[in-house]
This record gives sequence, structure tokens and C-alpha cells, in this order.
Amino acid sequence: MRKFALSVTVVSLAVLSGCSGNEAQDPHVTINKNPYPSTYKSMEQLTVLIKGATVLTGTGKILSDADVLLENGVIKAVGSNIENGSAQVIDGKGKFVTPGIIDVHSHLGAYPSPSVESHQDGNEMTNPVTAEVWVEHSVWPQDPGFEAARAGGITTLQILPGSGNLIGGRGVTLKNIPSPTMQGMKFPDAPYGLKMACGENPKRVYGSRKVTPSTRMGNMAGYRNAWIEATEYKRAWEKYERDYAAGKNPQAPERNLTYDTLRGVLDGEIRIHNHCYKAEEMAMMMDLGKEFNYHPGTFHHAVEAYKIAGDLADNGVCAAMWPEWWGFKMEAFDMIQENAAVVDSYQNSCAIVHSDSDTTIQRLNQEAAKIMYRSNEAGFKIDEAKAITWITLNAAKSLGIDDKTGSLEAGKQGDVVIWNQSPFSVYAKAEQVFIDGAKVFDINDDAYQAKSDFLLGQD
Amino acid sequence: MKLLKPSLIALSLLTSCTVLADKVAITNTTIYTAGDNGVLTNASVIFEDGKIIQLNPSVINADVVIDGTDKILTPGLISTMNQFGLVEVGAVSTTRDASAKKASIVFDPSYAYNPETSLIPFARKGGITRSLVAPSSRESVFTGQAFTIFMNSEFDSVIDTNTAVIANFGGARKDSRASSLLELIDKLEGQQKKLNDEILGKADDKKSKKASDEELTLTALLDGVKPLVASASRSSDLLHLIKVKEEFGVNVVISGGEDAVRVKEQLAAAGVPVMIKVVANLPGSFDSLHASLTTAGELEKAGVKVILYSPDSHMAKNLRLDAGNAISYGMSPVGALKAMTSNVAEVFNMNAGEIAVGRSADLVLWSADPFEVSTKVDTLWINGEQVSTESRQDKLRDRYISKENKPRGYIKP
Repeated sequence: MRKFALSVTVVSLAVLSGCSGNEAQDPHVTINKNPYPSTYKSMEQLTVLIKGATVLTGTGKILSDADVLLENGVIKAVGSNIENGSAQVIDGKGKFVTPGIIDVHSHLGAYPSPSVESHQDGNEMTNPVTAEVWVEHSVWPQDPGFEAARAGGITTLQILPGSGNLIGGRGVTLKNIPSPTMQGMKFPDAPYGLKMACGENPKRVYGSRKVTPSTRMGNMAGYRNAWIEATEYKRAWEKYERDYAAGKNPQAPERNLTYDTLRGVLDGEIRIHNHCYKAEEMAMMMDLGKEFNYHPGTFHHAVEAYKIAGDLADNGVCAAMWPEWWGFKMEAFDMIQENAAVVDSYQNSCAIVHSDSDTTIQRLNQEAAKIMYRSNEAGFKIDEAKAITWITLNAAKSLGIDDKTGSLEAGKQGDVVIWNQSPFSVYAKAEQVFIDGAKVFDINDDAYQAKSDFLLGQD
Repeated sequence: MKLLKPSLIALSLLTSCTVLADKVAITNTTIYTAGDNGVLTNASVIFEDGKIIQLNPSVINADVVIDGTDKILTPGLISTMNQFGLVEVGAVSTTRDASAKKASIVFDPSYAYNPETSLIPFARKGGITRSLVAPSSRESVFTGQAFTIFMNSEFDSVIDTNTAVIANFGGARKDSRASSLLELIDKLEGQQKKLNDEILGKADDKKSKKASDEELTLTALLDGVKPLVASASRSSDLLHLIKVKEEFGVNVVISGGEDAVRVKEQLAAAGVPVMIKVVANLPGSFDSLHASLTTAGELEKAGVKVILYSPDSHMAKNLRLDAGNAISYGMSPVGALKAMTSNVAEVFNMNAGEIAVGRSADLVLWSADPFEVSTKVDTLWINGEQVSTESRQDKLRDRYISKENKPRGYIKP
């Protein structure tokens, strides 16, 4: 039946072009940019009114004794004296409300627990450029790490391929809800990310095999060659589109999965997420973006961001940082605890705190707290309203979803965490977590504590 | 002559640092003793020559008096299973001295120890004053022996060597887990037989010779004095290790212990301490399906002696925050403090870990609650000497936030 329908289309097309008098046009070749579409559906959306809480909006404001109303999956209102007759009211006295926490750098599902041989799906280390792989195809949704992260207030997270390659493949942004499929978690309409890696990892992986890259200059040559070919690919397709639109019958360029993704970056549809620790390498990666006319995106593990914080702000790039991971490699030796605060002190900056860890993703609030307090001891003046942006709105900006989530503003998705106290305390716990206005976690109600298939019956 | 001068200065500086003259009092403070005296408010302590000499005396008689009002004094924290001075940068092979190619029960990594490592000052920011430094490898059953250091970066900071034997059990990549346990049992049985033969006079005179280092180590284990730190997670492995303690009298200490809650009563009854990584709450393997943030608290309630540890040496300063998280998930604050101080001292035979007369004056005065993120170390003493918490990281920060209008390379804070 399907075959029949297709051939009918072809025949009718041929007839159509025959009438025009030009050379008959072959069917137009279109690349499906979304072949594994999101099937995400929010859980049961509630009408919830949180009354009298301290609210960190994610936009830099702190509101005391404030209310937050969730309705139809979105944030309906944030402010004082909000009333709603049909809402379930939550007493927010003594509690803090923040946007759902966002981690821009996770390997959950791709390097899941248990960390066994069969589960090492995060690094396709068979070629220095593997832009053709999509990490979503590795995600195991039953990773118990998703549940643990949810209990820590994580509502959105980007899964990235590892850093063994110069260009490691596509990342995917997920809503942190339980689902038997990756598509069921996929954040609707979030742009794709592309993982790139500077420095020690790629040159070690390939250098140890006596193939390129074995040096940092080899790394740079590897990126540049890839972008040169991607640029040619983009030109070829654009010429095809132009000629086809002009009524000619051009032959479509041969499809290439690797360059499809790189072209997506050149077209501004896919965002770069660049594992890059060192100041001099970040500076070169920003120039590389200029050389090939794409935006350098976000630097991850930007341990030395503080050395070039002004340049980062001037170039409109984000820096995703740890509070204090250091010393495991030379490129992580120059850590300072105040890194994010230095980056944040520049106009137009975009400081982010990320985890890269199935452990610290559960306490990204404490990771931000460490930076805030240590920085203030060194003379910075960071308040809670500012520090929360590092794990909410700035993270959303990096992922290109800041029009949808990342702050408590009317109309945004109802991604909200209610904390038992200030999230910047070691004793802070996420009490209730909402995603799109649906309660997905409640620390006091087992009915809202999901358990992965893997652990069911094993504990 | 030119070469001689700076070294002389260095020597004289060194001596001035190590002169132990003053009697120091810390007064008007809240003291968490981590011992029988519990928590003392508006209290004072006096130390001299590296030892605590008075707790809450009626009259303060000291050369230096430090007012601890609104602050909290605890024993210095003792970290365990770290690689301070053995690994500077993980990926730099020439700074990696924590494991031996031919690891054995007698491998002593203290010969590789560098007290001037950049990791120790950074760890002091977390109030760590002592550490049990351990060899680290998963390649063999026995990785060697741990040693004990003061976290003061001094050349004489090694307090004790061959403090404990470190060994790995449980799931292994290359062999059955049974082989590891059998290797331990074989060694213990062999040495036990040798010792019995000597007692019974059965030892063959021709063969009798000086005991080897391995034999001496095994004898110390059989005496029940030297701790055997056994890394293991799964409940069935833990039960076998309890049996080793019962059959051979070995002072078994579990490290890891992710699934220890499954056998907590047995561990408590056998008096086997468990060293826990608080934040390791995911089922990283089939050995640790019950890993949980509540583990430390549950073990404490069951009467197991708990030690909290954080094996990442570069970030050892976060040990106190791990303890804070353990408290969040059910451990008592006193229990959490003991798990980083007096419990460690007791298990590894250190005269520290408690604010009590006669104990080493390893002390931390905190700005507030020692487990809270917002708190910092106000002042820290190791062996009675005040030691700075400044680290290389602070200098890098000050260079880059300096308002001086010149290239950063010329700014040397």
C-alpha cells in the first residue's frame, strides 16, 4: 500500500514537470532533521499555589513572602497575594522556591549505573571526528541516576557524548521524567548540542594509537579540516536548493551524516558544547568559530575561564564550571574556587555551574553554594538570587531553551523546586519537584518517588 | 657562598616555626570534644608543646589567649584513604606513586611521600589536620600499607608508617572474587601454622631464619593490632570478612561498604568498623545495589563504628560537607563528627581526634557549624602549631582579580 502511494506521487510529479516544458525535475530530496522526535508528555498537570515562600526567580531577584501559581503546565503568576479558588495550596512558609535545576553537562544514561562493560556508551573513540553519532541513541532511560538527580531538583539536563574525540557527536536535552524510551524524555523543540573537546583527552586517545591528533596543534588541524569539509557540504546543498528552486533538475549531493550535523552548526541550528579547560585553548576556539562563521557556544569544564573572563563575555559565550575539581590532569591544575564569580562579574557574561557527574548532579545547589560562599570570603558580593542563575537561567541560555524554562516568570514551563530551606545550605533538600506543572517528586510521599526498572525487586 | 645563604635562612625559618614555647588558650567557645565530654558551651581549652593540657580550667593561665566567642572548636579532621604526597596530578605518570607494579602486603609507599605537595594546603581549608595516606590500586589483592601524616607540609610530617594493611575484595575484572578471599585466608593460615609450630618447637632448625617482612606483617594482623582495611561492598563479601575477623582475630575494617546496611547487625556484633563514602549512593556495580545517602546514619543507629571518607585527595576538603549530607540523611551531628575524628583515631591507633587532656593539639576553630557550606576555617592548629590555610589557588585568584594595571605575569601575590 505504501509503495503504491509513493509511486503514484512520483508519477504525478513527473506529469507535473512534463507540463512545465523544462527538463523533468526529480523528486526534491529533503533531509529529515528530526527523525527521532520527542514523544514527551507531561505527567498529570496540577493547579498548585505555593503561598508565602522565599522565591529565587532565576532572573536575579529574591522575593520574600511570595506566591507562585502553577496552572495548565505553566507558571501562571509569581508575586504577592495571588489567589486561585481551585488550586491545591502549599504552605511555603520557611521554604524556598526556585526554577527547576538544569545541568548542562551530564552523561546519565550513556555512562549509567551500574557502570559495567555493557553500559559504556558515551565515547565513540574510533575516529577523532564522529559528528555522525547522536548520544540520544546511547541513552538508557532506566539509569537510576535520573531518579537520584530528580530528588536533587534536576528537571532538565543535557546528555553529552564523552570527550575522547575532537568532535564527539550530538548531545540531547531531556526532561527528567521516568520513561521507557529516550524519546519520551526528549525536551520538545530544544536545539541539539554538538560536543567538541580541546586539549589532553583527544590527543591522548589518538596519540597513543600513533594517529592524528597526537598534539594540541594536531587537535586544531583536526577541527579545521572538519569545518572545511562541512563548509563544502553546506555549499553543495545550498547550490542544490538554489538550482532546484530555479526549476533545474540538479543531482542532490551525497548525504553524509557527519556533515549533516556540522552543517547544522554552521546554519545556527545546533549549539556547540566544548569541553575546554585552558585559557589559551578557549581563545583559539573562539577564533575558530570566527574562521568558519559559527558561534563557539559554551565552554565546559572551563577551569581557566577566570583568566580570560572579559573575552568570554565579549564573545557572548557561556562558561560552565565546577566549584573545585582540579589536579586530575595538567589542564585542570590552575583551578580557583572563585572561577564562576570572576566570570559572572563581567557584563554580558554567562556563568554556569555544571556537574559532569552522577553524584554532584544530585547537589548542584550545594556546588553553586560552595562558589558563592568561597567567593564572598574573597571579597565578591554574590547573593542567592544571583547564584541560582548559574544552575537555572544561564544554563537554559546555554541550551537554547531560556524562552521555555530556567526562570519563574509567567508563561514559562512549570519547572519548579520547593526546598525545605535555602538551597545554599548543606541541609537543603528538594521537597517537591514539578516539571511542566506536574509533580514528579515528593520527599514525603512514596507515590511520587519513581524507581528504575533496574532497581525494582533488587533492593 | 651565594648558594649557602638562602639555605641558611630557610633553616632558621624552619626552626623558628617549630619552636614549641607558648601555652595557648582558646576561650569562650563552643567545644565539640568528639569524646566523652560531649559538647561544652562557653568553654576553654589550653595546649602546650603539641598536647592539650587543660580542658575547661577554672583559671586561664596562658601566654596566648584566643577568643572563640561565637565560634566552634572541634578536633582537627582526620582524612583516610587519601594519596596526599603520592599523587600530584593524576594524569602525570612521574607524579603517580600510589601503586607499585609488584604490589604486595608489605609495599610501603611512605618512601614516595612528598610533604610539599600542593594538595595539602588546599585540604587544610576543610579543617583536615591528619591523614591516613594509603596506596591505591585495584590490580591485586594487597596494595600495600598505609602511613599517617600531619597535614602541616613539614619534612617531618610522617607520624607513623605501616599503620594498616590495605586490600581489595569483591568483584574483580580478571579473577573470581573467591580468589581474593582465599589468598588472604591461605596467608593467614600459613602464618598461623608457622607460629604454632614455633610454639610447639616443631620448627625445623635448619629452615629457621629471621622472619620476613611479610611474615611480620601477617603476625601483626593475627595479633589483632594492625588494622586490615578491606575494600568490599557486597553483603556476602562482608560476611566472609567478618568471618576472617572471628576465625583469625584480625582487626578487619571495611572500606566502601556500600551494601553494609544489609548486614549491619552482624557488623555491629563483630565490632567491625565501616568506612563510608557518604555521597556514593548509586548502584555503581552489582556489589552496591543498596548504596544510599542514608547508609552512614543507618549503620550508626545499628551500633557500627563509622568512619566517613572521601577518596578524592584533591577535594578532600569537602569531607566536612559529606558529613553534613550524612546528617541530612539521618546521621547524628555528634556521630558525623566522630566519624571524621575520634572513630578514626581509635581504629588507627592515633593519639588525636578528640579534645581531651593528653591528646595531640590538632584543633580547628570554625566560623560556625563545621558541616555547613557557609562556614570556613577560622584558625587551625596541628600538633599545637598554628598552620595557614592559604594555598596556591588563592595566589592565582589574587593575581587575576588584581586591579593593578600591568600584565598578570608581573603580579605576584
